[in-house]
Amino acid sequence: MAPGGPAPILAVMAVHEVIETDAAVGARRSQRPRAAISTRGLSKRYGRTIAVDGLDLNVSAGEVYGYLGPNGAGKTTTIRLLLGLHRPTAGTAAVFGSDCWREPAAAHRDVAYVAGEPSLWPALTGAETLELLARVRGGTDAAYRNILVERFRLDPDKKIRALSKGNRQKVQLIAALASRAPLLILDEPTAGLDPLMEIAFRDSIQEAREREQTVFLSSHILSEVEALCDRVGILREGRLIDEGTLAELRHLAAHTVEVTFTGPAPEMPAMHGVKTERTGPNALRFEVTGEIADLIAELGGQPIESLTSREPSLEEIFLHHYDSSASP
Amino acid sequence: MTAAGHAEPTGGGAAGGGDLAVVRVLAARATRDARTRTLSFAALFALYAYVQPAGFRHAYPTLADRVSFAHSFAGNDALRLFYGYPYEVTSIAGYTAWRVGGTLAIAAAAFGVLAAVRAFRGEEESGRTELVLAGRATRGGVFASALLALASSVVALWAAQLAGFAAGGLPLAGSAYLALSVASVAVVYAAVGTLASQLAPTRRLALELGSGAVALGLLLRVIADTASGAGWLRWVTPLGWAEQARPFTGARPAVLLVPAMTAAALFGAAFVLAARRDIGTGLLAERESSPPRLRMLGSPFMYALRSQKSSLVAWAGSIGAFALVFGTVSASIGSAALSGGVRRELAKLSSASITTPTGYLAFVFLFFALALGLFACAQVNAARHEEGEQRLETLLALPLTRLRWLGSRVLLTVLAIAAIALLAGLLAWAGAAAEGVSVSLPTMLGAAANCLPTALLFLALALLAYALVPRVSVGVGYGIVAVAFLWQLVGSLVGAPRWLLDATPFAHMALIPVQSFRAGAAVAMLAIALGAAAAAALAFRRRDLIGD
Repeated sequence: MAPGGPAPILAVMAVHEVIETDAAVGARRSQRPRAAISTRGLSKRYGRTIAVDGLDLNVSAGEVYGYLGPNGAGKTTTIRLLLGLHRPTAGTAAVFGSDCWREPAAAHRDVAYVAGEPSLWPALTGAETLELLARVRGGTDAAYRNILVERFRLDPDKKIRALSKGNRQKVQLIAALASRAPLLILDEPTAGLDPLMEIAFRDSIQEAREREQTVFLSSHILSEVEALCDRVGILREGRLIDEGTLAELRHLAAHTVEVTFTGPAPEMPAMHGVKTERTGPNALRFEVTGEIADLIAELGGQPIESLTSREPSLEEIFLHHYDSSASP
Repeated sequence: MTAAGHAEPTGGGAAGGGDLAVVRVLAARATRDARTRTLSFAALFALYAYVQPAGFRHAYPTLADRVSFAHSFAGNDALRLFYGYPYEVTSIAGYTAWRVGGTLAIAAAAFGVLAAVRAFRGEEESGRTELVLAGRATRGGVFASALLALASSVVALWAAQLAGFAAGGLPLAGSAYLALSVASVAVVYAAVGTLASQLAPTRRLALELGSGAVALGLLLRVIADTASGAGWLRWVTPLGWAEQARPFTGARPAVLLVPAMTAAALFGAAFVLAARRDIGTGLLAERESSPPRLRMLGSPFMYALRSQKSSLVAWAGSIGAFALVFGTVSASIGSAALSGGVRRELAKLSSASITTPTGYLAFVFLFFALALGLFACAQVNAARHEEGEQRLETLLALPLTRLRWLGSRVLLTVLAIAAIALLAGLLAWAGAAAEGVSVSLPTMLGAAANCLPTALLFLALALLAYALVPRVSVGVGYGIVAVAFLWQLVGSLVGAPRWLLDATPFAHMALIPVQSFRAGAAVAMLAIALGAAAAAALAFRRRDLIGD
């Protein structure tokens, strides 16, 4: 897996560098290693529980990476290891080439983090919190911060203790996005946001993508990951069980073909890689994994009224993984 | 557990019985949550209650010894500060009542506030009260269950003392009454803490209000016990009521009606407020919005200072007030005619004569070293709280190293300890000088500076506990300071061997101004502190962050 990694990353970066217009930003970017996140055999054990098990993650600079998994799969543990908050039991993790555990301050210069649980200082107002986080970081994009405060409709004079969970989440998001850090690590950032704010969040991530920021988005909101992410990793019990672009994941998962016939549905012969299901007297549904040619050939002479074909949703891929991996 | 318990969910008819069942379950839960603290205090109370009669019997075996002890001590204002007024100290029981009633009553007051704020405001701040009230529990039921849990913990303290006295050979009935008089202080201050929990919207503010009430009560008792003509002040402080109950020295049980009625009134007022207000709020509403104040947000150090400002002012104010009172009182200390045996016992107690104004002041600074050690623990706990609430995670995800963060908190604590110590020195001098005691300002500032090695040692040990065992470090930090101090007070009385007596840092503090500065001991304490702090830094850098 490791040898396969670097080549496509280089290709992606080559494209970026052609597009790059701002010379100064370009120079800064090119000094930074191409891999925003890379882990080798990263493992974490708490007593007898193995939270993360031999993780090899590679997220290239400029990529929006969706990190999927159910509760307790090890998503937050991975993030704590990436931030150097917990110490790996084995393996290493690096952010832009800086080791996450040994040189956290260097690694964090290029990182902004949104925690899943918005724990902030209850006595400070939103504006004071943003100021504290910006000052400790050593600078932020104040103009963009003001735009974000407007966009997320945050009342900056309210004290944190008076804010709901969603509103506290906004404070964290604004602080992270306004930092313009090259890597955003977001742990279920939209939990608690209303649908309007969810749209504001997606817009902001699109902006980050346009600025070639890297985004590591841990989530279990599949529609969000589907809408935003270039690449997706699926985590189960601390292991990465699947990873790839949505197209790649779809290729492996079943394709659905639904057919309605003008008369009673015919008996179909058994075909390799095709699962047939009767959904009505005149209707059949086929779940196709792999080549679709056999099915097309069989359907060729049949009196068909309508035929729809669709790719699997991420949700179907996700459920497929959990159902099928749970049994063996 | 029982068959009836299993049948409960479907049996909606048993409303009254059901409510009681809910109260019982909640009270059991609250008691369990608080058991570590309750058991630690109970162990301390039992030990202290046992050591007093046992130690007195050991130190003053004959009646003649006790009479001469009484002659000197009864008139000694210094000892009245923290032990209270001695009514009769020629008997073991009378002596125990004096020593226990004075000292343990202070610990009982602190326990009352801590336990009540935890049971009421702590539960509410965590959101658990809301959760419980969303179910079958009523407000009355929740209040009653917290009261039950408090009551059970006070009973545990009472029983622990009783066991200690009985083991020390005191008569059972009198011991029960003495323990009751001490427990009455815990009850009144639990009521204070309960009311503070209704007023304050946060646990921290409730604790500050409650601690303020304890400090005020103590200050009033100190004045009542030491200043001439101020004895009536004993009637306005719960710590004074415990003295007025006169256990073993002409018991006046009717006096205990005063704390009983006061507690009932406070609990009643708290319940009226609890039944009417919105859950999650307090009567002292804090403003929900304010224009941004962007000063002191520039660095972890400045932010630590900003967030700890009110706490620093409270500690400095309380210690400063005591320093001023002690300084003023020192003028009235006179040297009574002492027998040789009593002199020796006095020397055991504090390694110097405390029967002169300067000796008294030197003795007082032992207490300031204790207070500064507790302050250091409080500051380490504030840092730990930042981690427990996972706010530290947010900070450390920024380009900020763990050591810089911890270092800035430690630096603030060290500077604050130094500032508060010097303030205490200055005010003690001002009080003494105003009353005509001849002692120079540099001498008193030296006495204050002499507290620093001890306080810094406790700071370093609290840091080490925080770095190594963060989940239990709060108790460990305070525990080290409390045990070290109590050992200093009682160790010599029970005739412990020298090496064991030397195990407490307080034993190595020179009593300035009556003794000269012990540079060797100070350097040794600082060296140990540095070593412990370095170990703490190493351990803190290597461990996983925790969340509560």
